[in-house]
Amino acid sequence: MRRPRLIDVSRLFFRVGVTVFGGGDPSIAILQREFYRRDWLSPEKFAIAFGLARLTPGTNVLAFCAATGWYILGLGGALAAVLAITIPASVLVVWLTQAYNLTAHSRLAQSIANALLAAAVGTMIGAALLLVGSQCKPGRWLKPVIISTGAFLLAFVARLTPLQVIAVAAIAGFFWVDPSAES
Amino acid sequence: MNVVVLYLLLVKATLTSFSGLASLPMVQSDFVARRHVLTDRQLNTAVAAGRIGPGPNGIYVVSIGYLVDGVPGACVGWLAMITPAFLIIPMLRFLGARAEHPRAKAVARAVLFAGAGLMLSAAVPLARDAITNPLSLGIIIASFLLIASARIDSLWVMLGAALIGVIAFQF
Repeated sequence: MRRPRLIDVSRLFFRVGVTVFGGGDPSIAILQREFYRRDWLSPEKFAIAFGLARLTPGTNVLAFCAATGWYILGLGGALAAVLAITIPASVLVVWLTQAYNLTAHSRLAQSIANALLAAAVGTMIGAALLLVGSQCKPGRWLKPVIISTGAFLLAFVARLTPLQVIAVAAIAGFFWVDPSAES
Repeated sequence: MNVVVLYLLLVKATLTSFSGLASLPMVQSDFVARRHVLTDRQLNTAVAAGRIGPGPNGIYVVSIGYLVDGVPGACVGWLAMITPAFLIIPMLRFLGARAEHPRAKAVARAVLFAGAGLMLSAAVPLARDAITNPLSLGIIIASFLLIASARIDSLWVMLGAALIGVIAFQF
């Protein structure tokens, strides 16, 4: 794994904080994809951060940012990640609160927001498939495919909460150990 | 309202919820029903402002702080929003070397795969909101292809989408 500079970590979280619409899930998808592309975080640490963030009170994506920042650069990384992703978005939300009646009815603002939301959706789907694809090796594709498909069905069809889905996956992982993959 | 009381009320709401908008009932109870420092209309404005902007859904707490006490209130709301996030660090420290155990790695990998499934399930309702015309469907497909097949920085995907949004507005 590469160890980036604090400014690079801050810059990535800042960018995600001001450009990603649609809530926490698209932000996590884009961060996951960027960590993978930049070789900043292993899939195992990403998974721990992702799972524990669901168990942390408050806004899950912020706990996820604190965890990934902490893994990448320690406490400074955690602080930089949370501050960089929240401060610009908070300034914007104050401005939007002031200008709510203007922005809510602005066709230009709606057109840009719709396009950004569409891009966030495409990114989420791409990041999810990339995540599973990167873990599928010859002869070791069954576990990633079954667990990710099962999680999708549990969340989307059976309407389990993300926390319940993660708990089911964790139990499956506990009993389904693939020594060649986990060594 | 005193900023310390404002912080304590907001952090109580964020600490007792496990997702962005799950704190809303407690905020409504404390600020609208019991203390009457906000109206339901202001609460709706805060939630809407949080949802139309970038960032997590829980960012509406900043807007609540702003509506209660102006800029100092917004700062307090921001602090209440980020405070619970750092609780994850003691949990990570506790995991420490235990995370290297093969069975712990197997659990982590299973959670990773579940995360992909959860991302897809979260994308479906967002896609329903996002697909308003053939252009938005085209943006979804193009951004999917760019993210999945090229090593392009996601910033360019977002900026490209924003530019298309501006051009689409002209027609």
